[in-house]
Amino acid sequence: MAELSWGRRYLMCPPHHFGVLYEINPWMHAEVTVEHDRASLQWEGLVAALRLAGAEVVMMDPQPSVPDLVFTANAGIVNGNQFVPSHFRHPERQAETEIDAAWFAAAGFEVERLPSELDHEGAGDALPFTPDDGDTVLVSGYSFRSDAAGVTALGALVGCPIKSVQLIDPRLYHVDLTFCPLDGRRAICAPMGWDLYGRKVIEALVPEPLWLEDDEALAFCANSVVVGTTIVMPSAPPRVGRQLEAWGFTVVECPVDEFLKAGGGCRCLTLALDVTLTATRASAR
Amino acid sequence: MATETIELSGHIVDSLLLAKVLDMIVDAGVAYELVDVQIGRTNVDPSRARIELEGGQPDLDRLVDDLQVHGANRLTSGATTLVAADRDGVLPAGFYSTTNLATDVLLDGTWVAVENPEMDCAIVVAEGRARTIPMHRVVRGDEIVVGSGGVRVHAPAKTRGASAFEFMSSEVSSEKPKALIVREVADRMRAARDAGGRLLAVCGPAVVHTGGAPDVARLVEAGWLDVLFAGNGFATHDIEANVLGTSLGVSVAEGTPTEGGHSNHLRVINEVRRHGSIAAAVEAGYITGGVMAACVRRGVPFVLGGSIRDDGPLPDVYTDTAAAADAMRAEIRGVTVALMLATTLHSIAVGNCLPAWVETFCVDINQAVVTKLADRGSHQAMGIVTDVGPFIARLADALCGDA
Repeated sequence: MAELSWGRRYLMCPPHHFGVLYEINPWMHAEVTVEHDRASLQWEGLVAALRLAGAEVVMMDPQPSVPDLVFTANAGIVNGNQFVPSHFRHPERQAETEIDAAWFAAAGFEVERLPSELDHEGAGDALPFTPDDGDTVLVSGYSFRSDAAGVTALGALVGCPIKSVQLIDPRLYHVDLTFCPLDGRRAICAPMGWDLYGRKVIEALVPEPLWLEDDEALAFCANSVVVGTTIVMPSAPPRVGRQLEAWGFTVVECPVDEFLKAGGGCRCLTLALDVTLTATRASAR
Repeated sequence: MATETIELSGHIVDSLLLAKVLDMIVDAGVAYELVDVQIGRTNVDPSRARIELEGGQPDLDRLVDDLQVHGANRLTSGATTLVAADRDGVLPAGFYSTTNLATDVLLDGTWVAVENPEMDCAIVVAEGRARTIPMHRVVRGDEIVVGSGGVRVHAPAKTRGASAFEFMSSEVSSEKPKALIVREVADRMRAARDAGGRLLAVCGPAVVHTGGAPDVARLVEAGWLDVLFAGNGFATHDIEANVLGTSLGVSVAEGTPTEGGHSNHLRVINEVRRHGSIAAAVEAGYITGGVMAACVRRGVPFVLGGSIRDDGPLPDVYTDTAAAADAMRAEIRGVTVALMLATTLHSIAVGNCLPAWVETFCVDINQAVVTKLADRGSHQAMGIVTDVGPFIARLADALCGDA
């Protein structure tokens, strides 16, 4: 079993300014208050779980008035030392783009931009899968937050084949709520989030998928973080946990329900910094 | 029928995007053609497909909007470029030269239909509207469309209404059963009038020479013609036949030349000129029958375009060709069926002014006339190769029998 080649170094943002201040997905209800202390504890718990699993966690400074900055998965796409910042569909999140771009530029990344008329929400809507016997492809979702044409432009920027999947359930509005690559053969998959064509694409790509039931998908099981053979999950229903352990993974349940109020789980709170999509990219630069 | 071209690029084959888009097109009942497909040679190379869609405009617009969600982009030819004319009667260099097909221009992001489609004109844009304009009508400062960017042309419908003429869609031929064709033309004229369209006839002098004028007059009297275009010759011989019983000096009834008949038409023109107009001559009782008198009595507008061969001419004849063309343009509004009866040059002139959707039947004994009309751009013309006299008599029987 070939472990993921990435997932040992993450960018996170402390939730000092986190809150549900607007509603841009079906999980968000502005009248629901976030318990800040609890949110902070849960976030600290996630950081600890990732570190314990062997990952390095890098922090970016939180900023007032951009509460969703905490969901660093949506910052953009990392490819070696290249960073492509997101273009957010909702004006509420658009201010995040320049904050993210500035952080990555300061960290030594080459920042390259998507065409301004196209929306794409970064690693939230694009996750790499590298089959044991094949090249890396980026599985990218579209419809609620990202444009299908944005995916084409992104593919041209990062030089990696992209398989587009149409997202059809507004509750699973990002592809990282429906798809979690585990290694070169396996992935956690929530078919309820995809149209029939998307399901066929994933079936053809992933030799051994763990198909989630609808309630498991809506418990954000696919929004997990994989560090080597450890899977940090917002919730691990028994059936899912047993299957993952049978495959040899260590399952760590890390409740982040304060963040679920905003429609985000463990994966949403992290952005892997050690992803290389183009085989030649890291060495060429 | 309208057409759109969309382009889809990326990893469209293994993402099943192309399959999905094609399925959506088929589900929408829209016809498509893959005009260009480039499949990436390696896993990393993106693929590209250019798809031409053809269907009803509302279906097509809805489909293209739906397809955009999946990354299929409408291929627009770019923005419309407008250049102001810098002098009267002269278009800016590089002006867009129109076809007779329904045409749209992209103005502020929306497609606006060009009014009065006509071939060999320019497009002028004013106050968010676009219309064709002939070269000589351009006034300094008019905003004229330049280049083909932001211009789209709708393909002509492949089938004609109720498929009545499918059997005739082959080459122009004299080997067609005439009775059947007459019945079909009559049906198309009935259908056009029921749909609120106007019926136009363009007549050459041969209509009178072959004895067809009384039948055209019957059609006018019975309300089967709404507009008449002709030249000095047709009107003159129609009046000559009524007043003196000859057409170019030959007895219409006997078919024999009459004594001194070569000057008959000149004498008739001279008398009409004395009255001041054809209408005045009809009112004074000088002209008592024929096509022109029927038009005057029924209030059917006619436009007589002059030529340098004309004798006289009759006082109603436009001797300024540009003015004649403008008068024809004014009468063409709402015309949906045009009969071109035994006239070569006038048919081409009128064909140039007609939008492509006007059903045009070109009746001539000479096959070359029909071919010529199509070659000059009036591709919608249906050719009927036959002697115009008997044809128009049968058509009048078919229509006036039940009118």
